[in-house]
Amino acid sequence: MPCIVALIVFGIMGIFSASHRALAEEAFGCVFKRITFRPCNTGFAEKIKGKILSKLLVRSAFLAKMVNRHYEILSWIFFILMVGSTIWVGRGVYNFYVYGSCNGLNESGFCAFDPSGENNKVTSVGDDSSCGITQQSEQNVTLENINLSGFPAINTGSKDTVVFVGCYACDYSRRAYPDIKKLVENKKSNYIFAHYPAKGDTMFLGEAGYCVQKEYPEKFWEFNDYLFTADKDYVLNKSNLDEILSKFGFDVKKISDCANSAETKTAVQDQTTELKKTNLYGTPTIFINGKAFVGPKPYRVYRSAINKFIFF
Amino acid sequence: MLNVEKIRADFDVLNPESPAKAPVYLDSACMSLKPRQVVEAMNDYYANYPACAGRSSHKLGDKVTKKVKKARELVTEFINAKSDDEIIFTRNTTEGINLLANSLGLQKGDIVLISDKEHNSNLVPWLRLRDKIGIVVRICPTNEDGTFNLDNFSQLVSGAKLVSVVHTSNLDGVTNPAKEIIKIAHQAGALVALDAAQSIPHKKVDVRDLDVDFLAFSGHKMLGPTGTGVFYGKLELLEKLSPFLVGGDTVESTSYDSYKMLPAPEKFEAGLQDYAGIIGLGEAVKYLSQFDFKYIAEHEFKLNAYITNELQKIPKIKIIGPEDPKLRSGIVNFYIDGTDMHKFAVMLDEMAGIEIRSGRHCVHSWFENKKIYNSARVSLYLYNMMEDAETFITNLKKILEIL
Repeated sequence: MPCIVALIVFGIMGIFSASHRALAEEAFGCVFKRITFRPCNTGFAEKIKGKILSKLLVRSAFLAKMVNRHYEILSWIFFILMVGSTIWVGRGVYNFYVYGSCNGLNESGFCAFDPSGENNKVTSVGDDSSCGITQQSEQNVTLENINLSGFPAINTGSKDTVVFVGCYACDYSRRAYPDIKKLVENKKSNYIFAHYPAKGDTMFLGEAGYCVQKEYPEKFWEFNDYLFTADKDYVLNKSNLDEILSKFGFDVKKISDCANSAETKTAVQDQTTELKKTNLYGTPTIFINGKAFVGPKPYRVYRSAINKFIFF
Repeated sequence: MLNVEKIRADFDVLNPESPAKAPVYLDSACMSLKPRQVVEAMNDYYANYPACAGRSSHKLGDKVTKKVKKARELVTEFINAKSDDEIIFTRNTTEGINLLANSLGLQKGDIVLISDKEHNSNLVPWLRLRDKIGIVVRICPTNEDGTFNLDNFSQLVSGAKLVSVVHTSNLDGVTNPAKEIIKIAHQAGALVALDAAQSIPHKKVDVRDLDVDFLAFSGHKMLGPTGTGVFYGKLELLEKLSPFLVGGDTVESTSYDSYKMLPAPEKFEAGLQDYAGIIGLGEAVKYLSQFDFKYIAEHEFKLNAYITNELQKIPKIKIIGPEDPKLRSGIVNFYIDGTDMHKFAVMLDEMAGIEIRSGRHCVHSWFENKKIYNSARVSLYLYNMMEDAETFITNLKKILEIL
């Protein structure tokens, strides 16, 4: 048992240290003999035991005596802990690859591969919304019983559905947006976009978008791409809206009238109310085939969610 | 009397630069330390005259030839051989014994008598010949305490073609009564070879006084370089041996279909030799020759007696070989029933830089026969101090307290 523990421990340490690499090699020899049903007579186990006991003995004879007496049990405990932690690490790596966080989907606890929690950062929704707040409590974010019929959509015949709930003013939505666009282009999946005004005054953009979709549906996605990729301060400045609209050749007056109409305001408000029913707590929230990904995940996470077997 | 402090000053490994601590080196039966003189002699060869011996007639070649000749003379004198031609340089004792085994011309049914505690180097060559050509390997059991049983030997030697026994055992330090063995063997018509790897470094061995026919020893156990050894044979016997390794430097001349061998020792020293090693070995012989072996033995006995006395106070420790340290040269080999002794060696090294050997010491056959797993061996030499022995005992007791 100590040989297996030593092989893994020295194997890892051997990545950085030549002397530990030699010990790992010895441990491998011992383990190899054991797994081929031969006795490990290399003396390695005793060597390691001797090294451990001598280190302890110079500090405390009592401790050394205890370790010697319970060496086998301690070895088993270490082995079980090691197997447990190896599984835990494996799970973390899997989670990070598939969900962008070591701790699981939308879990924001510490992850060594994403120490600053970038993959889970969102703009929280609500009255005190602000950017960069990570998840505070796991909620049941779902599309169940949500009516998405009024939102812009493409590739509607696809078996896969991607729903992007984002805010034009949210940095994290802006970060995730190009990846979702790329995903939809590559996978030809059904794509529904929903603007949720999580931060600042972006309602006017939502209303403008609503009207562009209504009046110029063929130009909506180009317009939407622009709002997410152009300079944020410029886009969010109300006085620039007319200029933006005219850039796309839209009838500015027509869009303005539409956006200011009571019908549009009610429709956009209704859409926001509908989105709230998803229990979303921040933007961006991306639903891929019903599963919610909160925060800007790496592209592979979105791709894995659509792939049949994670990698392909 | 030995001036140990003065001797230790010659060994760089025992005088490391601060803050490194000198090792407590108690593994000389495996490998002795090397005095500066030996190292410098070898370095001198490589730095100043790294040429061939016995071939090239230029100045450098000449110098090597002379140095190698001198080394041979020193060895001749050291073991009191009759002639320099009786000294064959080898890589070690094992090679010497293999040379004998493969050159003696043993035939199927020939009996080779060995003892029951031979080093693998004096066991495997004979077992291999048994398997290859059908010689008979006869084992002479020693007494319970490891001392040689001359009665057993006298009975078993009858009909033997060769007796090949260890002179001083690396297992327990017991020195076999070589003179009596040889006398009895000769009376029975057998030739005698001695494995002198452990005796040559510690006691005066006089091949003419012993009347031994063949004798092999290693340089690395007698303060010399690794990869050096000597095979001695009486000249008249060497002339009859047919070398098993031939080629460059073993022949006087060749044609496309014939060759004429050189006489001994050249015919046994095939190919380019380890000149630096041979020169270093000569230097080691010179270094050792300055001491009276009586004092080396006395010194080793004093340390051995102290260690033995302390170990005998610990009931669970069993010493291999006779109780009397006088009979065990500089070796104290001990074990504890049911305990793997490797961890003792590791712990002593880790705790206080005490370097001893653990395992079966290349005498697996004896351990298998006695059903003992392994042992820990302390082996002493002229550079060890009483403090070394005390440090060993102090730390061993600490370990025993927790195990």
